[in-house]
Amino acid sequence: TCAAFSLLARLEGRSSLKNLEPCLFAEEGSPVHGDVIEFHGPEGTGKTEMLYHLVARCIIPKSGGGLEVEVMFIDTDYHFDMLRLVTILEHRLVQSTEEMIKQCLGRLFLVNCSSSTQLLLTLYSLENMFCTHPSLCLLIVDSISAFYWIDRSNGGESLNLQEMNLKKCANFLEKLVREHHLALFATTQTIMQKSTSSAESFFPLKLQHEFDTDYRPYLCKSWQQMVTHRIFFSKQFNSGNSKGFTVVSCHLKKNNVVKRSFSIAECGVQF
Amino acid sequence: MVVLRAGLCPGLTEEMIQVLRANSVRTVVDFVSSDLEDVSQKCSLSYKALVAVRRVLLAQFSAFPANGADLYEELKSSTAILPTGSPSLDQLLDSGLYTGEVTELMGTPGSGKTQVCLSIAASVSLGLKQHVLFLDSTGGFTASRLYQMLRAQAEDEEEQLEALQRIQVARVFDVYEMLSALQEVRDRLSQQAVSCTGPLKTVVIDSVSAVIHPLLGGRQSEGLAIMMQLARELKMLAKEFSLAVVVTNQVTRDSSTGLLKPALGRSWSFVPSTRVLLESKGAAWEEATTRRSASLAKSPRQPTGMQVELDIGNSDVQEPSPATPTEGL
Repeated sequence: TCAAFSLLARLEGRSSLKNLEPCLFAEEGSPVHGDVIEFHGPEGTGKTEMLYHLVARCIIPKSGGGLEVEVMFIDTDYHFDMLRLVTILEHRLVQSTEEMIKQCLGRLFLVNCSSSTQLLLTLYSLENMFCTHPSLCLLIVDSISAFYWIDRSNGGESLNLQEMNLKKCANFLEKLVREHHLALFATTQTIMQKSTSSAESFFPLKLQHEFDTDYRPYLCKSWQQMVTHRIFFSKQFNSGNSKGFTVVSCHLKKNNVVKRSFSIAECGVQF
Repeated sequence: MVVLRAGLCPGLTEEMIQVLRANSVRTVVDFVSSDLEDVSQKCSLSYKALVAVRRVLLAQFSAFPANGADLYEELKSSTAILPTGSPSLDQLLDSGLYTGEVTELMGTPGSGKTQVCLSIAASVSLGLKQHVLFLDSTGGFTASRLYQMLRAQAEDEEEQLEALQRIQVARVFDVYEMLSALQEVRDRLSQQAVSCTGPLKTVVIDSVSAVIHPLLGGRQSEGLAIMMQLARELKMLAKEFSLAVVVTNQVTRDSSTGLLKPALGRSWSFVPSTRVLLESKGAAWEEATTRRSASLAKSPRQPTGMQVELDIGNSDVQEPSPATPTEGL
């Protein structure tokens, strides 16, 4: 259990995430602590770049226009590109000296997990860190779907067994987010063909033509149910428009949807 | 799924195991996720002892977080950029092959994938005097072609032979042989005292689709699971030992956009950091003037769509003579 002062410190920092990236959300004032935001999309649609953008926003000091908070980044498929993050920081810092870069990077914690079991056990052992680092308020999992096929294969015929580990991870993540007032961003990859049956469509029929997303839920119910915002990423193919990427952001409880475009430059995501 | 057994960690005795098992606590995950006060009561075990065991189990089986600043320091000293042997391809890749990453070369048969792989092997071995592991799953590796490339780049026979010796070729014909070969490399590298300055910097796999394709389409998840296991091995190898891993893959045409995309499906598409499409232009009978192009389909550093021309004719992968102007330089 955490000491009272660290809880207070975290509550004090509560307002800080509102300015993380307003363009990503359909509602003003998002995200708040306790939100679980899922980034979903096929390969090459800018999910990882968006994560770097958020990380940069967090770890840059207030004097540089950032939020000056700490981030825990869980990388499940050896995807994280430190050099790319550094390039983004170099473009965004007024004074991009080695010292400044390292000071920013000091607010980032990275961990690699090689299986869903290790992910679960790692979450348990990270719990302590959230207690001792009150300014650690952003948790990122890239991606939470990485072990899908391996878990399915290991679970044999039983869907229950196949989903067991991810279900436990989802439940524990929910507990961590709730008890330590975190915001969780997790990416899921589009690895299935879009379902043709309208019954499985994510959007109500009237909105389908407006927001046609390549989405077919495949992760366990425990995960589906804890997500508060789902953001779909896609790439625009006519490159006449300079903004090459699109996000369709859905606030699940309030049923608000918004569509925005962004481009990716050397300095990272630009809306 | 690690099952609890005596001696797994200090403090975990056989008696404890028996009593835990009787109360449905069988694996490490069961133990760690249990309410220890509850377990202590039900099993009549010391709460303090259980907490101590939990701490040790977590330390043993969970991953340890690293600080960004420390990681950056490490990367600065261990990352290298390797020349491919073709300056225009190097330009496309933002100076060359980056260690710590998986780079994919995709193209139809005859588009030059194996040629580029041989050029990379020759360039790294001769130019950097570093070792290369070449896993050949198609039977396309020809030592004579490799030797030809080396001869064109170095005059000294001694140098050529040394370069040949630094290239280790293994023929693997199914995914299990491939996984086994990679495991061997991992074991060998783990034993080295200072792994990031070891002589092996490059692993070339020609091709990945040859061993994975036969597994897909049957009992879906089995094949995909093995493919993702291979993907994980490759990325781990690249990251942990600072290697440049190069893989080749076939292409298919996307039904909705009509564009060429890598074979092996959506799950595989996320795996490489960089993807280059190799294409062969010009009529098939005009062997001597076959123009091959490389375009950037995926990159963590550069905008996609860039295209350069490669000259792989009867000679090695080299820039054409100044008399013939080329694009992309």
